[in-house]
Amino acid sequence: MKRREFLDWLTRIVGATVGAFVAYPVVRYLVPPPTPEAATRRVVAARKDEVAPGAFKIFPFGGRPGILIRSADGGYRALSAECTHLGCTVQYNGANKNIWCACHNGVYDLEGRNVSGPPPRPLERYDVHVMGDEVVVEKPVAK
Amino acid sequence: MRCHVAAVLGLALLATPAASRAQEAATPVPASSAEASPKRVRDSCLDCHRRLEDPRLSGPTKKFDVDIHFVRGLGCSGCHGGNPADPEMTAMDPDKGFRGKPERAQIAELCASCHANAAYMKHYNPRPYIFSMDEFRTSVHCKKISEGDLKVATCTNCHGVHGILPPRDPASPVYPKNVAATCSHCHNAEYMKGRTVPTNQYSLWVGSVHGKALLEKGDLSAPACNDCHGNHGAVPPKVRDVTLVCGTCHGREAELFENSPVKKAMEDQGKRACVTCHGNHGVQHPTDDMLLSGRLGVCGQCHKPGSPGERASETIIARFRGLLGRISDGDSLLALAERRGMETGVGRAAWREAQDHVINVRAAIHSFDFAQISTVLADGEKTADAGLGHARTALRDWRTRRVGMALSLGVILVLIGLLALRVRRLDAGASPSA
Amino acid sequence: MKFAFRTWLAERLSLEPLLHLAQKKEVPVHRHTFWYYWGGMTLFLFGVQVATGILLLLYYRASADEAYESVRFIMTQVEFGWLIRSIHSWSANLMIGAAMIHMFSVFLLKAYRAPREVTWLTGIALLGLSFTFGFSGYLLPWNQLAFFATKVGADITGDLPLVGGFLRKFLLGGDQITGGTLTRFFGIHVAILPALATALVGLHVYLVQAHGMSVPPSVESGGAPVRRMKFVPNFVLRDAIGWLAALGMLALLAALFPWELGVKADPYAPAPPGIRPEWYFGWMFQTLRMLPSRILGIEGELVGILAIGAGATVWVIAPFLDDRQGRGARARFWTVAGVFAIVYIVAFTLMVYMGGHR
Repeated sequence: MKRREFLDWLTRIVGATVGAFVAYPVVRYLVPPPTPEAATRRVVAARKDEVAPGAFKIFPFGGRPGILIRSADGGYRALSAECTHLGCTVQYNGANKNIWCACHNGVYDLEGRNVSGPPPRPLERYDVHVMGDEVVVEKPVAK
Repeated sequence: MRCHVAAVLGLALLATPAASRAQEAATPVPASSAEASPKRVRDSCLDCHRRLEDPRLSGPTKKFDVDIHFVRGLGCSGCHGGNPADPEMTAMDPDKGFRGKPERAQIAELCASCHANAAYMKHYNPRPYIFSMDEFRTSVHCKKISEGDLKVATCTNCHGVHGILPPRDPASPVYPKNVAATCSHCHNAEYMKGRTVPTNQYSLWVGSVHGKALLEKGDLSAPACNDCHGNHGAVPPKVRDVTLVCGTCHGREAELFENSPVKKAMEDQGKRACVTCHGNHGVQHPTDDMLLSGRLGVCGQCHKPGSPGERASETIIARFRGLLGRISDGDSLLALAERRGMETGVGRAAWREAQDHVINVRAAIHSFDFAQISTVLADGEKTADAGLGHARTALRDWRTRRVGMALSLGVILVLIGLLALRVRRLDAGASPSA
Repeated sequence: MKFAFRTWLAERLSLEPLLHLAQKKEVPVHRHTFWYYWGGMTLFLFGVQVATGILLLLYYRASADEAYESVRFIMTQVEFGWLIRSIHSWSANLMIGAAMIHMFSVFLLKAYRAPREVTWLTGIALLGLSFTFGFSGYLLPWNQLAFFATKVGADITGDLPLVGGFLRKFLLGGDQITGGTLTRFFGIHVAILPALATALVGLHVYLVQAHGMSVPPSVESGGAPVRRMKFVPNFVLRDAIGWLAALGMLALLAALFPWELGVKADPYAPAPPGIRPEWYFGWMFQTLRMLPSRILGIEGELVGILAIGAGATVWVIAPFLDDRQGRGARARFWTVAGVFAIVYIVAFTLMVYMGGHR
C-alpha cells in the first residue's frame, strides 16, 4: 500500500509540475510587455526633457534612423534621418538651424526640404506628440 | 593679348548694323530687331545654304533647327552679320555688315559680346548665366590662344557651333554626363602629342568613384572635369587649392583637414593635400586597407618607422582594426543567433549603428588629431559592444530555451512513466485509490 | 460526511447521465487498439490550437501594414511569445498529420461500416475544415513564402471547372491577394471555421459515443469474444500518456526548430524560387506538376484536378460502396484501394521535398 500511495502522491506532484510548466509561460505571455505594440508607425522617441532646446536626438524608427529636433522655443519636430543621397545619417546644425549630412555636405531646411548639395529629395516628415512625459513620433496618416 | 585686341575690332564691327536696337540698350547688340523676335522669319542664309552641295557650306544648316540661338530668334546673321532678308549674294556684302567665319582667336569675344552682357541676356532669361571674359582669361585655354597656339579649346569646341543645346539638355556635349567625354576629345594621347601635359585623365576618371557615380549611377551631383577645374577658367588646382576643391562636397573631411597638423606639413613639402593619399582623376572609394601598418598603408608612405608620427598612426590603426574586428565578430554572432531561430532585430540595429560610427571614424581620421579620433573610436566601440551584447543575450536565451525544454521534457517523461505504472497496475486488476 | 465539491457540481450540472455513460463505456482490446487513440490525439491537438490561437489573438493584427510586424512583436517582445507561436504552427501540422492517420486507420479497419457512415462523413468534413484552417492560417504572418504559397493555391482553385473563377474571387476577396484577402482569411480562420468545427466536432464525438467503438472485421471473424477495457480510467490514462508525449514533442519542436518569421510580403517582388503550398497539399501539387500540358486534347492540369476530385469522391463514398460486413472479395478490394491511396499520397508528398520537379 505504501508504495502505491507514494506513487499516487508522486503522480499528483509531477502532474502539478507539468501543469505549472504549461501555466507559467501562458501567464507570462498574458502580462503586457514593456512596449505595448510594434514600433512600425509609432514610437516613443525620447523622454520629455531628454532633449534640450536647440539639441537633437537620433532614434530608431521601424528599423531606420529618425531625427528628433527641439527648437529654442521648446517645440519638437521629427523627420527621417536617412539622407536621400546615399543613406548616411544626418544631424541637426543648431547654429544654422538646418539639417546637415556630413557625408557629402547635403543640407536640408527644418521642413526637410533639400536646399543644398547632392540630396535629390526632401526628408520624410513625421508628426510629434508630447503625451505625459513621453515624446511620441508617429508616421502621418494620409488625410 | 591678341584675343583682347581682336575683341575691340569685333565689337566695332558689330556695333554698326545694330543701330535700331541700340535704342533699347546703350550697349551694342548683334541682332537686328527682325531677327530678335521669337518667330522665325524668312532666313535667306538658311534657305540658300541648305540647298548647296558642298558639305562645307551646307553642313552648318543640318542641326541648326535645334540650336538654342535659332529657337530664340537669333539666326545666322546674329553672329555672321549680313542681311537675311536679301535672297541674293548681296546678302553677304561686307560693307553691309557681313563678317563671315570669325577668326578662332576672336570666337570667345564674339560669344562674350552677348553672353557677358547681363542686360541683354536678361531678355531671354530672368536668371541668366553671365559669362565672364575675366574668368576665361585666367584659363590655360585663353592664355594659349592669345600666345598663338590655336590648337586649344574655345567656346565652340565644347558647346558646339551650329547646333548648340543648353547645358541642361542631355544631348548637349556639356551636359554633366557628357562633359568628360567632350574634354577628352582633346585631352588624349594622340591630340596632345608634343605637349607635356598628362593624357590619362579621362580613362582614370571613367574608372573612378566619381566617374562611376555620374555615368553608371546617374548621380548628377558627382563631379565631372568642370566641377573641379572650373567651367570657363580651366586651371589645374594648385597645392593649397586641392582641399578647397575637394572640400566643396567633402566639407567635413576638408574642415577637419584644415585644422590638422598634416596640412601645414604637406604644404611645406609641396605635396598636394587630398591627392597625395587619394589620387585625383582616378580616385577610388577609400578602403580600410589604406589604414594598414607600415608601407602597406598610406600613413607609412611618409612617416618613417620609429618616428612619433608613425607611432601615433600605428596606435590609431591598431584600434581601428580592433573596432572592425569587433563589428565583424558581432556580425558572426548575430548570424549564428539568426540561424538558431532567435530574433536579432535590436542587435542588428546596434550593429548597423556601429557601422555608422565607423564612417565617422573614417572621416575623423582627416583631423590627424589623436584625441579627436580616439573619442570617435570610443563611440564606435561602445555601439559595437552593444551589438555584441545583444547577440550574446540572444544566444544565451537560446541556451536557456533548450534547458527549459529539457526540463519540461524530463518532467513530462517522468509523468508518462508514472502514468504507465498506474496503467499497468490497473490492468493487473487492482482497483486504484480514489 | 465530508463535503465533496465534485458531487455538488455534478448535481447542479445534472452530469449524472453523462458520468454514468462514461463509467459504462468500454473499449475493445485487440491487436489494432493502438489506432483508437488517434481520434483523441487529433482532438487534443485541436485543443492546443484553440488555446494558442486565442493567446495569439491578443497581440496579432490582421492588416497588411501590421500583420508581419505584430508577429515579429510576438516573437521578440512578448514573453514566451516565440513559444506560443511556434507551438501553434507546429501543432497545426501535427494535428493534420494525426487527422490523416486517424482517417487512414479508420478506412483500413473499416470503422466506417454501418451504422457509422455519418460519423465517417462528419470526419471527412472535419478533415476539409483542417485543410482550410491550415490554408487560411498560413497567410496570416504575411511573409513572402506565405503570400506566394497562397497565390499558388488560389490559382489552382481558380482552375476548377465552372466554379473555379467564382471560388477564387470569393476566397481572395478580389482578383489578387491584397490586405482584403488577409482580413477575409482572418475572419474565416478565427470565427467561421471555429464555429463550424465546434458543431462538427460535437456531432462527431457524440456519434462515436452513441455507436461505441467499432471492431475491425478481422478481429470479429476471429470468433473469440473481444476483450474490453474500461474507458475510465484505463483508456483515458493511456490517452493522457499519448497527449503528454505530443506535448513534449511540441516543446521539443518549438525549442529546436522554431518557426521562422521570414521576410515581409512584397506583392511586387518576384516569387521566391521553390514556392510550394504546405505539405498536406503536397501530393496534389506534385500530381499536377507531373502531368503533361495536354492529355487527349484537354489541358493537363484540368485532367489532374478532375482525377483528384473523382478519387476524393470515391474515397468519401467508400462506406456505401464497400461490403456491409466488411468481408469478402469486395472488402479486400477496398482494403487494397486504401493501401494504394496511402502509398500514393505518402510517396507524392515525399517527392515534393526530394526535388521531384520535372
